[in-house]
Amino acid sequence: MSTPAIEFLEVTKVFHPRFSEEYVAALTGVSFEVVPGEVCAFLGPNGAGKTTSISILMGFLFPDSGTVRVLGHPPGDVRAKAQIGFVPENFAYYKFLTGPQLLRFHMRLAGLDLASAETRIGELLAAVRLHGYESLKIGKYSRGMVQRLGIAQALLADPQLLVLDEPTSGLDPAGRHEVLDLITSLRDRGKTVFLSSHILPEVEHICDRVVILDRGRLLRVGFLRELLRSGDQVEIVIDRVPDETSAALAEFGAIATPVEQRVRIVADASRKRELAELLWAAGCDVVSINPLKSSLEDLFLKTVGGAS
Amino acid sequence: MKIRAIAFNTFSSLVRNKVIILFCAMFACIVLFMLMPLMMAKSMAKSIGAGQSATMVLGMVSAVTMMVTGFGSLLAIWASADAVASEIRSGTVLAVMARPVRRWEFLLGKFLGVQMMMAIYVVAMLLLSYLLTWLGGERLGSSPVLLILYPMVRYAVYSALAILLVTVMHPVVAFVCGFVVAVLSSMVSPSAGHSVFPAAIRLGLYVLLPSTGLLSEERFLALTQSPLKAAPFTDHLIALTYGLDYALVCFLLAAWVFRRRPL
Repeated sequence: MSTPAIEFLEVTKVFHPRFSEEYVAALTGVSFEVVPGEVCAFLGPNGAGKTTSISILMGFLFPDSGTVRVLGHPPGDVRAKAQIGFVPENFAYYKFLTGPQLLRFHMRLAGLDLASAETRIGELLAAVRLHGYESLKIGKYSRGMVQRLGIAQALLADPQLLVLDEPTSGLDPAGRHEVLDLITSLRDRGKTVFLSSHILPEVEHICDRVVILDRGRLLRVGFLRELLRSGDQVEIVIDRVPDETSAALAEFGAIATPVEQRVRIVADASRKRELAELLWAAGCDVVSINPLKSSLEDLFLKTVGGAS
Repeated sequence: MKIRAIAFNTFSSLVRNKVIILFCAMFACIVLFMLMPLMMAKSMAKSIGAGQSATMVLGMVSAVTMMVTGFGSLLAIWASADAVASEIRSGTVLAVMARPVRRWEFLLGKFLGVQMMMAIYVVAMLLLSYLLTWLGGERLGSSPVLLILYPMVRYAVYSALAILLVTVMHPVVAFVCGFVVAVLSSMVSPSAGHSVFPAAIRLGLYVLLPSTGLLSEERFLALTQSPLKAAPFTDHLIALTYGLDYALVCFLLAAWVFRRRPL
């Protein structure tokens, strides 16, 4: 079995505000793993502990207890950091530099060969739609441009693991779409992506695994496909509902909703066969029977709402 | 390469720092204003005699140099504290520390970046000393090497001290503490004469605080007409080694504290 790209084991972090007796438990016994080559969405409402977790992962903060390993190394270890690309949530860059100057600076920090720097920088700036702005100081960039430059600097060293804290915030729809495509292409190339985001419909299309936190506690972790299928309801699509079956549907606890030229019935999965036979016997044309798949947003709201 | 990149970036950032530019400009105006008495001394040379005029010029050059070096110490303290604190405050440190950079490498880069700026300041200070003596109708006889090495080592001590302080406290508090250390160290040095402190406390502070009197280039200021006695090479070596050692200890302590500091 390969080494997990990210491993949190019973991680606890408590903040003690200065001059105060109170304390804030940012993380309480959080454990999860991210396997190499997958896209993991790290979700939770504001104050859930996502940024604290990412800061611990990057070696910016230290846990009070528990163990964290990144690419098989402790957080902050230069061997691990050499293989990580990171975009912080509210990142700031030196405003007096231009985009290419910043990327050159990061190439030096990453210990990369500067001989091929110009080609690589040109490619990255084109990939994030910043070509043509080479001489513009970062201080003059819009928020979206800064965000795109952040993504370019994260990709600079062709990292094995990308840690993205709200990578699409501040981007227009086209920019968001490009970032999501980029993440998908990185996964296709075998890279691991760990991203936190509030835009759940977007994340749903690209992530393999989901970790949901709330108030420092791990609520749910697992493959998205499995989590979304874990519902116990079924969706039956038929051409019409004959009048004589309405009472029977109510008895089954099924809810019928007209959808375009058809009718969508949502019922308990355990009684799907009985219901389908009833509809068939009543002369309905059963178009499809599928397990009801909830969205990531539904799952998130259900998980976080249920916990609170 | 990483340390050099951080150092050059720090230097570029410092020379664009508006607070530093403003204070340097204000200070330059004060220095220019102080040139007036020097011009007066020159014009009085015929009436008071060449020897007395040279002493007056030396005294004035010494006073201006003292002011400039004092300002340099404050600049070194402020620049070092701000160079580290502003990166943490603005969040730019996160992208840097996400790279394969060790925490001590980051601090060393910051320290060297400040030293690059201070090197320019020291060269400007040296040129100012030559200008002042020339305006006074004299010629500076001191070795330029000494007038560069001594302040550089002294500023290195203050930079390392400020970096140590800013790893555990707010930059403004660190600056004030650094300033207090600079004042106290001059008050407890043997050359300060009578002190307000009891002997034991004075001795303790003298041992603990950096001996900036020992690292002062002012004692080597000399005009051709009245050369001071030349100090032996070993004296310089001991004084400069003492300063570098003090800076190294401060820096190592800063690196030790910074390794577990939340960013």
